Amino acid sequence: MEIDKIIHEPARLRIMMILAGLEQADFTFLVTTLGLTRGNLNSHIEKLESAGYLKIKRSFKGKVRNTSYQLTQKGSKALAQYWENLDAVRRSGQP
Amino acid sequence: MNNKQNNKSQDQNTEKLKEIPKWTRKYAQNRTLTTFVLIVMICLMSMVIGVPLALTMIAFMRGNMILFWGCIAVLAAIFISLIILVSKFGGKNRGLIDQRIDKWIYRKEGTATVPVPKLTKKKKWSDIVSGVIILICVLGSMYLSALGYISFKYLQPISAIYFVPFLVFVYFLQRPRLGPLVLICPILYTLHAILILAGVPIFFTGNLGILNMLVPLIGYTFLAYVIGHVYSRYALKKLKGLTHLEGEAANGD
Repeated sequence: MEIDKIIHEPARLRIMMILAGLEQADFTFLVTTLGLTRGNLNSHIEKLESAGYLKIKRSFKGKVRNTSYQLTQKGSKALAQYWENLDAVRRSGQP
Repeated sequence: MNNKQNNKSQDQNTEKLKEIPKWTRKYAQNRTLTTFVLIVMICLMSMVIGVPLALTMIAFMRGNMILFWGCIAVLAAIFISLIILVSKFGGKNRGLIDQRIDKWIYRKEGTATVPVPKLTKKKKWSDIVSGVIILICVLGSMYLSALGYISFKYLQPISAIYFVPFLVFVYFLQRPRLGPLVLICPILYTLHAILILAGVPIFFTGNLGILNMLVPLIGYTFLAYVIGHVYSRYALKKLKGLTHLEGEAANGD
């Protein structure tokens, strides 16, 4: 049973869990909710994006620029699998 | 022993993390201040149009032509402003005003949205049909009330027959965008109707009789949104309690 190391990091797990409850969230929401530094959040987002778990949406509505983050289908599946694996590990009492 | 306790507390912490999506959704569903401000703006706009319109009619009937033309000028200015407003925030820019209000109110918290139900052809038509039915019911009961067929006292209880199912229908149509707290409005509207039927004098009479539907509807909608907002504060606090990272986890990778 392998635990996904990308998701297993506390900050990234929380980012994924926040986005799992939403359609999308922006950078400010993630920064204030997680209490991370902006640079740190950026690096976690980059890692999740490069793994294909997260999608960055840049849009304009009028003159207002909007950057939001959304969990991809691959990300949702990976997150569900992560919990399944973690629960199995906990049940079996493995470290 | 210590190891066992550590494992137990770790398990509890892990279980708590599973609640993050639930509280995030609850928070996002109850970010009601934007809609609240929009409703206030619509009410103010109705007043801004309604007062000079009523004054125009009164001035005309009394033959006060100075006041009449003054009101016509004010109304013309209001309509020109409305046209400018619609051209700026309508069409392609639909939703921009909501977004700007949202960004202004929640600038410190950022944006979090729950999925908006997809607008299928069937849904679009059901929106239009239900809207037309409600409009017919409202105008019909006001007309019957003006003719004296419905007493002002019973205007609200009768309107509850169509308003309550309509509001519940809107909730189901807008799920998961709207949380169950918006149902406070139809519940209170029903209770209001029951109290009137039980003989409690919570209605307007005379010239104000026409407000019997409007005041409870707007009042309970406001109340539902205020409760929603308070709940969103609670949900955010819960969420931050689950997600806030401190020390190494917050600063390092």
